[in-house]
Amino acid sequence: MTRRIRQIAGALGLTGTLLVLLAAPAAASGESIGGCAVEAAVHAEEEYGSLHAVEEDKKLFEELEKEMEGCLEAPSPIIPEVDEIIWGGAAFLVLFFFMVWKGMPAVQGAMKDRADKIASDLDAADTAKSDAAKIKADHEAALAGAKSEANQIIEDARAQADQLKAELTARANEEVAEMRTRAAADADAARSQALNDLRGDVSEIAIGAAERVIGSNLDRDAQSALVDAYIDEVARG
Amino acid sequence: MNLLALEFPPVNHLFDWPTLWFEDTPFALNKVGLTYLFAMVVTIAIFWFAGAKRNRMVPAGVQHVAESGVNFVEESVVMQTIGPDGKKFMPFLTTMFFFILFSNITEVIPFWQFPANSRMAMPLTLALLVWVLYNFQGVKHQGLFGYLKNSIFPPGVPIALYVIVAPIEFVSTFIVRPFSLAIRLWANMVAGHLLLVTFAILSATMWGSGGLGYGGALVLSFPMLILMTGFEILVSVLQAFIFTILTAVYIGGSMHPEH
Repeated sequence: MTRRIRQIAGALGLTGTLLVLLAAPAAASGESIGGCAVEAAVHAEEEYGSLHAVEEDKKLFEELEKEMEGCLEAPSPIIPEVDEIIWGGAAFLVLFFFMVWKGMPAVQGAMKDRADKIASDLDAADTAKSDAAKIKADHEAALAGAKSEANQIIEDARAQADQLKAELTARANEEVAEMRTRAAADADAARSQALNDLRGDVSEIAIGAAERVIGSNLDRDAQSALVDAYIDEVARG
Repeated sequence: MNLLALEFPPVNHLFDWPTLWFEDTPFALNKVGLTYLFAMVVTIAIFWFAGAKRNRMVPAGVQHVAESGVNFVEESVVMQTIGPDGKKFMPFLTTMFFFILFSNITEVIPFWQFPANSRMAMPLTLALLVWVLYNFQGVKHQGLFGYLKNSIFPPGVPIALYVIVAPIEFVSTFIVRPFSLAIRLWANMVAGHLLLVTFAILSATMWGSGGLGYGGALVLSFPMLILMTGFEILVSVLQAFIFTILTAVYIGGSMHPEH
């Protein structure tokens, strides 16, 4: 069976079911007139032997006719019936007392409990939220403090490094200057020593040379003064 | 009644039910009485089971029905008409709403198909109960003289008009109200039942006639029957609501004449 046929069969089945269910007022619309009339006829037949006997007796026929006409009559729906008031009123009163005693307190209690629980949960959620916000703020503050501390440490380290650098540089400069001074002094001393040595040697050589050239002893002091003057001149030059 | 080949019963017969038990006594029980008992039992069952499942966080089933009904009566009826001090009438108004609703809704229950309030007994009884209640509340809150004065001589009306207004208000408040309340419910349910019976008989007759009757029933009368059934569900709920809210309006008016 294809899907389409199944759908059509289902629709027809549903329609048929609805037709039966919804058409029930036709059967449930009160006492039927036909049924009432048949009931009257059967009743007459049972009581008088046959309907033919009733038909022949004018009085009985009129009674049956009247009874059948009664089938067309019914109480007015606008006139309240005492039995309906009693049953309806009793049902309403029982229901009302049940609602006062049990129904409303139970249902309203459940609604109130739920509302209280929701309110309580919301309060708890608010508290948890504010706690979380406080913890977050604490953490952020701690983080900010740590950052600040770290920056301070870096700054301090940097300042210390700068200071150390300056001290080392100054010390190095001092040492360099000292070394340079000492070197200069050493150089000067060495130079003076060299000059003195040179002066002695040169004057000895010069004197010796001059003695050889001129064959006579020169005035040694005068010659030495002359050589020294020459060497000084050379040293200056 | 033979109308256009339709065998339509006399209207009175549509609302006349044979006695089932206790015949010829004041406690004769027929379909109308059974319908009221049905309304009572169903409402008790709903609230009983709803109360038994009170720990459910998310209401479902009968608990949802009961709580929705209570919430509806409280928010849409009591708070709108009387105010917070009307909550003491919640049990009465909720009972009234559910009782009328379930004795109306039988109109569309298959094979039952009769609204008990299409009989005048309970609409009139309830309306008279409401009449007693709102007059009692008026006297209780305003005193007898104050209640009569405020009811018959509404404030804000030019004095000259009291000649016309006072009799109208008197008749309206003390005589017409219970009957208008009762007849509104009764007439609506009578009309609904007649509509459903009419289309049901039409459908059954057309279907039974065969031939073109099948088409007529399926295309015309039966769709109308379905439509009217849905409409009558709406009417059943609406009439229960109207009866309840008018009761609350009358009580509220008696308690707070300034409104």
